[in-house]
Amino acid sequence: MSSEQQASSIFPRTDWAELGKAAEGDEARLDRLIRLYWAPLKIFLVATFPMLRDEAEVVLQEFAEDKILKKGWLQRADRSRGQFRHFLKTSLRNFVLDRLNRADVKHAPVSLELLEAELPGEEAASEEFDLTWVRTVLAETLRRMETDCKDSAGDQPRRSYIWEMFRIRLLVPIFDGVSPVPYEQLIERFGLRSPTDASNMLLSAKRIFKMHLNNVIKEYAGQDAATAMEVQALEDLVSRIAKRG
Amino acid sequence: MSEPDSSAAVFKSSAKRLAALMETGSEHARLWGPDELAAIFRHQMSAPVLVDLGGFDPGTAVRLKTLSEAQGLLLKSFSDLFHHPSPPIELLKLTKEFAKANMDHPESGLPTDIVSVLYYTSIAAALVRLDTRISQLKDADLRRGLLWAKDQAWIDEETKALLLKAIEKIPQANN
Repeated sequence: MSSEQQASSIFPRTDWAELGKAAEGDEARLDRLIRLYWAPLKIFLVATFPMLRDEAEVVLQEFAEDKILKKGWLQRADRSRGQFRHFLKTSLRNFVLDRLNRADVKHAPVSLELLEAELPGEEAASEEFDLTWVRTVLAETLRRMETDCKDSAGDQPRRSYIWEMFRIRLLVPIFDGVSPVPYEQLIERFGLRSPTDASNMLLSAKRIFKMHLNNVIKEYAGQDAATAMEVQALEDLVSRIAKRG
Repeated sequence: MSEPDSSAAVFKSSAKRLAALMETGSEHARLWGPDELAAIFRHQMSAPVLVDLGGFDPGTAVRLKTLSEAQGLLLKSFSDLFHHPSPPIELLKLTKEFAKANMDHPESGLPTDIVSVLYYTSIAAALVRLDTRISQLKDADLRRGLLWAKDQAWIDEETKALLLKAIEKIPQANN
């Protein structure tokens, strides 16, 4: 992990030391993953346990330190045991129930049975978590794609055009609900020499987007087959919610 | 959406828009709308022949350059090629191959209708300008293809006239 990453880590360095023999790659990976997916975790936590709204950050911090950073947690999140996303949700839910249970024993403000009975909204919370997860994945994908395209400008000047073409032709219509920039304007704007040139540029943009999307997902889903399954799962999820309106 | 807001916009987007964004990664999704075919065809006809056909092997690319500059023809665009009174047959054949390769290529970003018209127009130009058949298609199939191309609303009048002349050169009796 770089010094910059250490400085921006949400976890104290000592927590990483507790990982013992955990591979160096796993430290950086976990740190990056948890920082990246903090928002969906918080949404799930607050939606599932509304009474913890005010202490959500603290609970999540404890969850990260007591569970995620413990040796072996990442291995238990292996693909063979289910999707990483689901494993994370289940871990958080169980962690909070356990925490409340311990508090219950000490102070008995409310019974654990009652708390568990008060989780009818868990399905909705789970869906909101998944949707925020998709948003996080896509936002990170776009951020990386933009950086990638713009950073390459020196070596490949046309690569910076690829991001711009992708943005005005595909992103703006999706986000703003407007018609795409007409083909003739694209020719002028990007100095396109032929329809093949235009199509290749747009296809390149789509491929770069897809590559970064796969990379972002692969960082938590694992090997290629699991990544492909997770991409499909996320696509199915948003389609299902979109159809429901 | 201003330029720096693409990631932020994701967090404000509905599931429907997220689904559309995820679909963006699919290479099979159509790149261009049907209402853009006229503009794309105009661009195709005015595009430098060397740009599109230059994608063939280096030897062919050199040959192309020679051909397009030979005899003072100065064939800069596909329109120049198709409407020249005596276009080099090799260039017409290469254009046909380029179109066919794109028609058959599942990941070609060019609209199938555009490359299909390019395909039939190269055959028509050889037929009309050079009285030469560069296609193995049967008369009936070729006639059907030329008629289809001629009927596309987005092609220019000059190309339409060329396609019509080609159709007239195909014997009806053989249909």
